[in-house]
Amino acid sequence: MKLYKKEGNVLHILSFPNENAEKGDYLLVEDQDAGKALIAQVIDVQFACIPGVLEELLRTLPDGGEPIQGEDIDPLEIAPHITYIQDASLLICKIRATLENGLLSPSSSWLPSRSQSTIKKLSIPMLMKLANVNGKLPITLGSTKDASLLTIDASAVDGTLNIITGKKGCGKSHLSKLLMVSLVGYKATVVVFDLNGEYTSLGLTADGKRNIHYDKIHTLTPAQNFKVALEQLHLNVVMGILTHALHLPGTSAREFRRIWKHLKEKGCLTLHELGEAIRNLNCNQHVRDALLSRYHALVNSGFFTDNPAEATLLDECLLKANEQGGAIIINLRNTSTIDRQIVVEYILGKLVDALQSWRLKAVFLFAEEAHLYLRETYWDDIVTRMRHFGIFTTFITNQPDTIRENIYRQADNIFLFNFTNEHDLDVVSRASRIDAETIRSIARDLPPHHCLALGKVVGDFPIVARIRPLDLKTMGETRLFFKNIN
Amino acid sequence: MQLKRTPILLKANHQETPIAAVDTSTIKIGETSKGIILAIRGATVRKQNRTYHYKRLGPFIFHITEENKKEVYHTLETACFHTQSVSSHQAAPNLMQMPTRLANLLERWLQSVLAKTVTNGLILFDGSLTAGTFDTPVQRLKEILDEARRNGNVVLAFSKMTTLRVNGYLITDLLPEQEPPYLLETAGLQFKPPTVPLGDVYVARLNRASYAFRLDIDREIAHQQKIESIEKLLGNDLCMQSYPETLRLAHILCTFTANEVLAMQHFITRKHGIKMINRPDMHRLLFGPFGKGEGYA
Repeated sequence: MKLYKKEGNVLHILSFPNENAEKGDYLLVEDQDAGKALIAQVIDVQFACIPGVLEELLRTLPDGGEPIQGEDIDPLEIAPHITYIQDASLLICKIRATLENGLLSPSSSWLPSRSQSTIKKLSIPMLMKLANVNGKLPITLGSTKDASLLTIDASAVDGTLNIITGKKGCGKSHLSKLLMVSLVGYKATVVVFDLNGEYTSLGLTADGKRNIHYDKIHTLTPAQNFKVALEQLHLNVVMGILTHALHLPGTSAREFRRIWKHLKEKGCLTLHELGEAIRNLNCNQHVRDALLSRYHALVNSGFFTDNPAEATLLDECLLKANEQGGAIIINLRNTSTIDRQIVVEYILGKLVDALQSWRLKAVFLFAEEAHLYLRETYWDDIVTRMRHFGIFTTFITNQPDTIRENIYRQADNIFLFNFTNEHDLDVVSRASRIDAETIRSIARDLPPHHCLALGKVVGDFPIVARIRPLDLKTMGETRLFFKNIN
Repeated sequence: MQLKRTPILLKANHQETPIAAVDTSTIKIGETSKGIILAIRGATVRKQNRTYHYKRLGPFIFHITEENKKEVYHTLETACFHTQSVSSHQAAPNLMQMPTRLANLLERWLQSVLAKTVTNGLILFDGSLTAGTFDTPVQRLKEILDEARRNGNVVLAFSKMTTLRVNGYLITDLLPEQEPPYLLETAGLQFKPPTVPLGDVYVARLNRASYAFRLDIDREIAHQQKIESIEKLLGNDLCMQSYPETLRLAHILCTFTANEVLAMQHFITRKHGIKMINRPDMHRLLFGPFGKGEGYA
C-alpha cells in the first residue's frame, strides 16, 4: 500500500490486489522519521484511476459487444502485471487518530511522508488495546472480519444513551438481547418495553430448557400478572397517565386531583369509589363526562385493581433485580395503544420514584420502537432528566426517523445495522460521534447480523462486527405462512 | 505526378474471401543510465466466416544501449529472415530510431508469415509498399509480395497519412463529386532512389465518410484483379470511415496503453531490478509554462 493523497482528514491510499483491504478495516500509516503514525479507517474502496484502462476495456469489446476471439503469445508474461496494475484500488480512509509514543490523540494535522511511510493493517484487538477499550466487565459482541472478538466493557453502556438501529430483519433485537442478558449477568437491573413479546422467553435456551438467566428474567404482562392498585399510585403518576396517555384537559384534571385527594384522605381509594365519586361529582356536565370516559379507560385496561395482593409483582421484581440483577420484561404484545401508554407512563413514573428514593441504584431501559408508546415530551426527559436519576436508555428501532435529531446528537453509543435507504442513512448520520460519510459508506454495505458499533463502547473507533449467536429462545422470528410448505 | 480525375467505381463483391491484416507498435518504456528500454508488439487479425480472430505477439521488451544495439538488431534480423540486409551492415541504427526499427522488423516478419499462411485472400498492410529504405530492403518486401502472390493473395497497403501531393494538394484531399466507393488512380509517380515503389498507388474512398486513404496494391497484380480485390474487401469486411475493420483491429490490438506501460515498468523493476531514471524535460525546465515538452518544436 502507498500513501497517495491527504485532504483534510481523508487519506487516499493506493492498494494492490494482493493487499486485500476492505471497508471498515483499520490501517496504520507509520512515518518512522516523524515517530508518529496515523490510524485511518477504510470507508470506501474504489478503482484506482489508472491511465489507459478505458482503452484496455474498450479494445476487448470491439465486435458489437462480443469479446473478440484470439490468442496472446506473451513470452515474458506481462499480462499478470497488467492485471495487477488494472486491479489496483484506491482506499478512501478517514483519519481517526494519531499515535505518538503509544498514546492516541484525535489530531490529523500532520502530514506523513508519502515516500517513506509504511502502511499496514491494524488488527482490531491491537486497536482496542491502543484505545484502552478493555475493562473488568467484558461483553463480547461478536467477531470482526479478521476473526478476532469484539469485546466491549459493560461500563461503557453505563450512564449512556444508546441507539440500536437498522432495517428490518438484520439483527437489532438480537443485539439488544445480547446486551440485556450480559448486563443482567453483571447484576444490573434491566427494564424492557417488549412490544412484540419477543423477550419473554429469554430465560430459556433455544431448545426450551432453563438457562442461567431463568431466575432473573421476570415477564410482566399488563392486566394479567401485572396490575396496579390505586392506593399504590402516587397522584403525579396518575396525573401523568390521565394528561399524557388519556389527554385529560386541564379543568377536568383539576377536578380529578380534588377527587383523588379526597378519597385518599378518606382511605377509600379504590376503583369502585373513584367511579362513584366521579358520577356523583357536582360539576359541569362536560367535565364529568370527560372524567368518566377516562375512568372507564382505566378500568377497561384491566391494569388497575382494588386488590393489593394482585399488585405487588413489579415491586418484588425490582427489589429482586436490584439485589441480584435481573430483567423485567414488560410484555406489551397484546396491549392496545392507549393501554400501552398507560403502562409505560406508570412504569417510568414508578422507576423515577424508586430511583429518587434510592430504592433502585440505576436501571437500564430497553425500549423497542419507542415512538409507539412514548409521548413527545418524554424523549427529552429520558435523555436529560431521567439519565440523572439513573435511567439509561437503549432505543431499538427500524425507523430511525422516529427518533428525534437531538437524541442522535446526544447518543453515546450507536449500534448500526444495514440501511440502504438514503433517507434513513441521512437521519442516522446526524449522530455527533461520527462523520456522515462513514455511516453512509459502511452501513450501506453491512451484511445481515453485522453491526457498525460507534461511540464510547469502541473508544470512538467505528468497528464492524458480526454479532455472535445466543443460545436463547428469542421469539423474535417473523411468523411465516410458507415456512414448512415444500 | 498525376491523379486521374475519373474515379474507378467499385461494387462490393460478397464472394467469401479470407482477409488478414497485420500491424505492430512500439513504445519507449523509459531510460536507464546506459540506454533506453523499449517494447514492441505485433498483431495479426483474420476475418473468415464473418468472425474475427487475432493473434498477438508480445510485448517484447529490450534494453538497448549504444553497446548492444547493433547486436540486438542483427540477431533479431537473422532470427526473422535468416539473412542480414546490406544496409544494416553499413551503419548501426541510431539509438532513438531503434524502437521503430525493431517494430518494423517484427512487422515484416509477421507480413511474411501471413503471406505464407493465407491462401486466396486479401492481406492488409499498414503503410505503403515503398521499399529501399533502411528498414525495408527492396528484396525483403519483394519476397513477401512474391510469396503472397504465389498463394493467391493480393496485398493491399493502407496509409493513414500520406505526403504525396498534386499541385500542392494532398492526394487524399482531391476527391471528386462522386458517390463512393471508388478509387482514384495515380500516374507518373516517381521516387528518389534508392526507394522503389512495389505497389501502384491509389486514393481509396470506400464509404460515405469523408475520409480517403492512400492505397498501394501489389504492382505485379493485373489491373482487373486489383479492382476485384478491393471489391472483395468491400464485400467481406466492414469499412467504416473508409478503413478496413480488420486492419483497424490489428492496430488497436497492438497499440500500447498507458496501463500496459505501467505494467511493463513494474515488470522490469520487479523481475530484473532495472532502475529507470527520470530525465528532466529540458523544454519544461528552461521555458516553464512556455515549454510544451520534447515532442513540440
